[in-house]
Amino acid sequence: MINREQYTSGPANVARVQKDGEKWTLILVRELRYAPEKVWQAITDPAHLREWAPFDADRNLGTAGTTVKLTTVGAPAPRVTETTVTRADAPKLLEYTWGDFNMRWELEALGDGTRLTLWTNIGHRFIAMGAAGWHICFDVLDHFLSGTPIGRMVGPDAIKFGGWQRLNAEYAKQFGIETPAWPPNSGKA
Amino acid sequence: MKIKVATLYVEDQDNALRFYTEVLGFVKKTDFSQGPYRWLTVAPAEDPNGTELQLALNNNPAAKTYQQAIFQQSQPAIMFFTDDIKGDYERIKARGAEFTMPPTDVTGSTIAMLKDTCGNLIQLTQLMRW
Repeated sequence: MINREQYTSGPANVARVQKDGEKWTLILVRELRYAPEKVWQAITDPAHLREWAPFDADRNLGTAGTTVKLTTVGAPAPRVTETTVTRADAPKLLEYTWGDFNMRWELEALGDGTRLTLWTNIGHRFIAMGAAGWHICFDVLDHFLSGTPIGRMVGPDAIKFGGWQRLNAEYAKQFGIETPAWPPNSGKA
Repeated sequence: MKIKVATLYVEDQDNALRFYTEVLGFVKKTDFSQGPYRWLTVAPAEDPNGTELQLALNNNPAAKTYQQAIFQQSQPAIMFFTDDIKGDYERIKARGAEFTMPPTDVTGSTIAMLKDTCGNLIQLTQLMRW
């Protein structure tokens, strides 16, 4: 059991990119020691999402056809996007959009646990940032599921965290893209 | 205190980045994203460390109404100063921009107006010297 201060992110091996010409898809895979039903609740229930996800949902995402408002957490200006859940086959497959991104979540039973896969079509420019962000979110999700939540680490909390900066740089290198300069004056714009 | 960033609402940030850099000749300063939120700023090549212009996605209904209303009234959403309005007019026009007003003398200055292709009119101004 660890607390938030002791948390360190592991190697950059959770995310990969599928390139289909100009269309890039970020794929994150995480094996969790918990049953698909429990993981399903963590990715659909607003109270659970609040513990680890980079957005807040005003309604449960677990039913196809539901319209849900997603609020990006920590954005400098309010960014609320409305989505309609297009697929919800509990506890296996969930699809909706977050802004312009398609979000496809797949849950496969793996012994007593679950292999969780997220596909999202985040654009090239921010794909390493997205990979680093989701990598940390999945770690936080794991702690939350184990009953020892360390608190959501997104937006400003993620960026200040050295692990995010390292993951961003490592994923950028793996994916063959330039790391965005941040802070803006620290490198080439 | 100093003015570091001014915000301009745009209908499409990719298109805005293309227009402000490739057509107007600005440079990209910051491009950062968190989920669907994107912080994007540019600055004039002539004054790259000066005030930045934030190209903010107009997803705000009140701001959309305002943007459309002032556009329809032919009012510029923002104004840039230049020392060579004729030269800028020719250069920017050659890159495909649509001017709604060629360089025109008004009291104290020469102004020109063009569409930024993202829902705004922008005004170029050269002050008269005497």
